[in-house]
Amino acid sequence: VSAPAVSPPTARTESPKPAGRFTELNELARTTPGVLTILAVGLVLVSVLVGVFTAIGVQTRSTALDDLATSSGPLSVAAQDIYRSLSDADATATGAFLAGGEESADQRARYLNDIAQAQASLAVAVAAREPADVTAPDSPLATLSGKLSSYTGLVETARANNRQNLAVGAAYQREASNLMRTELLPAAQKLYATETGQVAGDQVDAGGFPWFEVLVGLIGLAVLVGAQVYLRRNTNRVFNVGLLVATGAAVVSLLWVVIATLGVSTNVDQSRELGSADVEALAQARIAALTARSDETLTLVARGSGAAFEKHYVAVADRLGGQDGDGGLLRAAHDSVDSDDVRGKVEDAQRAWTQWRDVHGDIREHDDGGDYKAAVDLTIHGGETGAAARFDEVDSALQDALASTQQSFNDEVTQASHAITGTVLGVIVLAVLMAAGSVVGIWQRLKEYR
Amino acid sequence: MNRRNVLAAVLGTVLLLVTGCGTDEAVAPAPAKAQVPLPAGAKVLTEAPEAPPAQSCANPTYSLRPGPLPAPTALPAGSTMAKIRAKGHLVVGVDQNTNLFGFRNATNGEIEGFDIDMAKQVATAIFGSPKLQLRILTSQQRIPALKSGEVDIVIRTMTINCERLEDVDFSSVYYLAHQKVLVKTSSEVDGIGQLDGKRICATAGSTSLANIPKRAPKAVPVQVADWTDCLVMLQQNQVDAVSTDDTILAGLQAQDPSTEVVGDSLEDEPYGMAIAKEHTDFVRFVNAVIEQMRTDGAWADAYKTWLAPRLGKATQPKVEYKD
Repeated sequence: VSAPAVSPPTARTESPKPAGRFTELNELARTTPGVLTILAVGLVLVSVLVGVFTAIGVQTRSTALDDLATSSGPLSVAAQDIYRSLSDADATATGAFLAGGEESADQRARYLNDIAQAQASLAVAVAAREPADVTAPDSPLATLSGKLSSYTGLVETARANNRQNLAVGAAYQREASNLMRTELLPAAQKLYATETGQVAGDQVDAGGFPWFEVLVGLIGLAVLVGAQVYLRRNTNRVFNVGLLVATGAAVVSLLWVVIATLGVSTNVDQSRELGSADVEALAQARIAALTARSDETLTLVARGSGAAFEKHYVAVADRLGGQDGDGGLLRAAHDSVDSDDVRGKVEDAQRAWTQWRDVHGDIREHDDGGDYKAAVDLTIHGGETGAAARFDEVDSALQDALASTQQSFNDEVTQASHAITGTVLGVIVLAVLMAAGSVVGIWQRLKEYR
Repeated sequence: MNRRNVLAAVLGTVLLLVTGCGTDEAVAPAPAKAQVPLPAGAKVLTEAPEAPPAQSCANPTYSLRPGPLPAPTALPAGSTMAKIRAKGHLVVGVDQNTNLFGFRNATNGEIEGFDIDMAKQVATAIFGSPKLQLRILTSQQRIPALKSGEVDIVIRTMTINCERLEDVDFSSVYYLAHQKVLVKTSSEVDGIGQLDGKRICATAGSTSLANIPKRAPKAVPVQVADWTDCLVMLQQNQVDAVSTDDTILAGLQAQDPSTEVVGDSLEDEPYGMAIAKEHTDFVRFVNAVIEQMRTDGAWADAYKTWLAPRLGKATQPKVEYKD
């Protein structure tokens, strides 16, 4: 084994003045062993960097997936729950108020359950946020947690006065409804929009093509190949086992990341198409149904001066079912959902909506014709064909459809999580292998100089 | 720095980057302040509401002389009453929140009160039985509802004045009320003069609201949609007093024993039933119904049912006619 000729190490004696590390390195760089050492250090550094950056890239994706599964996904459900519970609570409380002293135990229980549900979901939403998000004066969570107790206080005051036959009860009920419609529900809607925005953002973070990881991996590969070309030219060896192993590790790492990520992308796309897009369509329809129910009840509470509520009802009804009853948000949800099971549920909701709309027509006819009692009866009692029962049918059909769509979303996200499981660890191990291979490979050459 | 330390630092940094954890800043709870909700439409007026114009007409309370009162089956063809009869019911603009005058009985859900009894008398004169459709109106909605024909008649604690006479016609005075002040018993206020700088509540568009700056120029008027909203605001400590007709105040006081009606009469408030312009036949017809109540005791019965327990004895006000 003959070492190539190198310039003799005479520099030290020639220029003693700028003694220091830089000079030493400079001298070292002029010797082949020196170059090899630097190359080894460089390759280790590159391996570590490739490992770290790839791991960070994959971890970001994995965190986004975790968020979808445990944070933004469930939180968007919680936000929707808050809206639904509050809206239903207000419609129930005003309905019970319409019933006068005969407020039924069922209605009371339903109102209390709605409030309990809203508070439970609100606690989940609050716990998931930083304290600063909650305390910011205009944040929806500050509004919701601060004013929900005011609302329930007003409803109880209204109820106590109503029980004593005092007209001021109606004023408290109106104040409560006004608080709900002007502050609480808009805050709940804002919260829902924020959370669904978060879901969409996490889906982008989790599902995009891994440009960054591929770029880093290719750079690592290029450096390794470059090192081998250099060694081949300067040491007359064709193969270096250590560096080959390192190159192999880099290739495996790159392929692993690409394949795992493409799997994740597919699942995330599915979670969007089969899950969140349908959830959004169904949730919009449900919110419209709830609003229509509130409008229907408040029109009667206003007794004669409820034209604004009825006008709002008509607008919401058109949005929910379209002008002909076979369009609008329900039709959109019907066309959007993918499983036959869910589509069946939406069809149930459409059918119940058509019937509810007919009942509403009867209610308006009674009320406009002066038969207020019959209108109230049809609105809050009316048995299985009354507005209350029809509304419940629409709401529970949409509720079922939402639950099963939410399940599809969760399944896809779980699958995506599985696809990426272990990738971070694998990438780190492969990076260590890359570094070790590089060091061993260069050490082989370096040994030849001793 | 030895190698081990470097390694530890690098690993630490990597771990931080990978897990995304940082140190959380400690957050002290922000000072929170309760915001008591306001009734829908409540507004503190920074500028005084328009002062009631000086009575620009002579004797606004003088209505048209009563016409004949035919049997329901013999109403003159083509008359306003005949048209209402053909429609099937009398549409009356009323209040649902003024205790004793027009309010919802929470037990049976019906609207009751002195004004409703008056409406029943008018409807009975047209149909032979009280065929009513009640339309709830806020103070401000009264005149527009008449102008648009949405209601046939408004019987809703409505004070007769010249300004309103430009838009609608009034029946003769069916009730004479006096504007006073309602305060909490604990307040030690015994008249509107002691309310400088305090908030006084009245409904938007009412004469009571317009009278506040006249009697208490330094008080702050607060307007709401309904009289019960004033009681809500008084109970929530958002206003210091409510000022309006003693009849309405008595209805509010009946709902809260910790309040009292105080002071001398600030204004006379003659109530009339409002009817759209150009239905003089209907005005005369209604005035005849009011006259009939004086003789058949219907007014006294309604007064005894609703008002006598709180306002003491009274008789139906004397009325005068312009022609």
